[in-house]
Amino acid sequence: MGFFTDTTLCIGCKACEVACKEWNQLPSDGYEFTGESYDNTKELNGNSWRHVAFIEQLGKERDTSRWLMESDVCKHCTHAGCLDVCPTGAIIRTEFGTVVIQDDICNGCGYCVVACPFGVIGEKQEDHTMGKCTLCYDRLKVGEQPACAKACPTESIQFGVVDELRERAEKRLANVQARFEGAQLYLNDPNDGVGGGGSLFLLLDKPEVYGLPPNPIVPTKDLPLRWRTAGIAAALLFGAVVLCAAARE
Amino acid sequence: MTQGYYGRPIVKPPAWTDLIPTYFFAGGLAGTAASLAFAERTAKNDRLARTLILGAAAGCAVSAFCLIADLKKPERFLHMLRVVKPTSPMSIGVYIFSAFSGSVFIAAGSEVTGIARPAGRFFEAFAGLIGPVMSVYTSVLVGDTVMPAWYLPRKTLPALFAATSASGAGAWGLLFAPARSNGSARRLAILGGTAMVAALQALHHELGPKQVEAYTTGEAGKLARSARVLNVGGIVCATLAKNSNALSKIAGALLLAGGLTERFAVYRAGCASAKDPKYVLEAQTRLG
Repeated sequence: MGFFTDTTLCIGCKACEVACKEWNQLPSDGYEFTGESYDNTKELNGNSWRHVAFIEQLGKERDTSRWLMESDVCKHCTHAGCLDVCPTGAIIRTEFGTVVIQDDICNGCGYCVVACPFGVIGEKQEDHTMGKCTLCYDRLKVGEQPACAKACPTESIQFGVVDELRERAEKRLANVQARFEGAQLYLNDPNDGVGGGGSLFLLLDKPEVYGLPPNPIVPTKDLPLRWRTAGIAAALLFGAVVLCAAARE
Repeated sequence: MTQGYYGRPIVKPPAWTDLIPTYFFAGGLAGTAASLAFAERTAKNDRLARTLILGAAAGCAVSAFCLIADLKKPERFLHMLRVVKPTSPMSIGVYIFSAFSGSVFIAAGSEVTGIARPAGRFFEAFAGLIGPVMSVYTSVLVGDTVMPAWYLPRKTLPALFAATSASGAGAWGLLFAPARSNGSARRLAILGGTAMVAALQALHHELGPKQVEAYTTGEAGKLARSARVLNVGGIVCATLAKNSNALSKIAGALLLAGGLTERFAVYRAGCASAKDPKYVLEAQTRLG
């Protein structure tokens, strides 16, 4: 199961952020005022599992403008870096195909934080474990939809079977392409660097405008190569040690 | 011009404390010190072997403290031992570290107390053989992340970690063994120190002009410049230190400080390459 977030429909109301905080009982991140835009959440982190990005674009002559709004969330990658590197087995792939951190197993090592190509995972300061969207694992188990999708008033956040969402996203893109220059799908390709997302997006500008990486790649892709290179380095190091010990003066 | 979304990071910098680069230094030193201890024991230079196996034990003790303290709740370390996960360099690393440090503690305990000498020598040999893996695996651990400064130098980062470990182990021998028996440590310190300077140059080259800024500017750049001065000074002193206790100790201290500073420089470079989105965006244009 997954999300299709259609940003052409987002009105930036942040109902998803609030519903997520309420359902998952996540504490506040404080009351900092960015002064940049209507976005004061700033980023996804351990206690903010939905984040509505707000972008104001002015034309060259400052006579035209548009607002881009996008509700960002964990991508529930097919090849998930966080899941690969988690040393405790706390991060699992569920029966719904989603990626979930088990609170009681997570030991706060923080490796998942630096293995996520999207910067989704953050540390929860209150107990020093890591947090991110569970795609409302508890709600899915009883046949409910995730709190954010339920609360979204414009159906910008759609929940469903990933393959169906992909088809729906393609259709929607075909529909809006003529009206929105720069409209594009994000993470809908199962052959991209993370094997496609369980969360896909319809964006109205380049991914980096929304703070998303244009070409995300799971870091473990290179892991066998890295071990081989390290093996060679270790062998050379051993050789150097033996050489230094053997060379009597 | 700010890039991305209000210039905010695209990937998150580590949630780790400075205990982690300290661990990279102490663990790297311990691995290579155990290797040289084994080689010296085989060459019947027991005096230097003793200094080095005790150095390895000190390195392991510091490492264990750093790894456990960084988790904030010590008992959580046991969660690491629930599973063996080949896709996680940290999981594999925990087992490498556990086997290595266990062997080193037995060997060092036997060395100090004289109890169970054959067992002590056996574990010293085992630690000596896996020591280089202990020294280098952390390059895989940091390479397997999305920090461009760690992810991109695929070939040179393991070499830098190996060289820093060799320099550290040699420096320990110079600092704590008498000059008449520290010949191998001196040679390893000179070789490792020189390799470190060379590996860093190669790493800059592998990264290219844009990505290298993570290593050459800001706090990472300052640390790297200090490390360079300390290391070059250490190499010069070590070269002149033959049969001189005083110069040996100065060389050892300079190279230890240089190695530790270099570890922090690499760590800060990784953090810097996450905090400014320009690194991630540039890296993504060249990754297929």
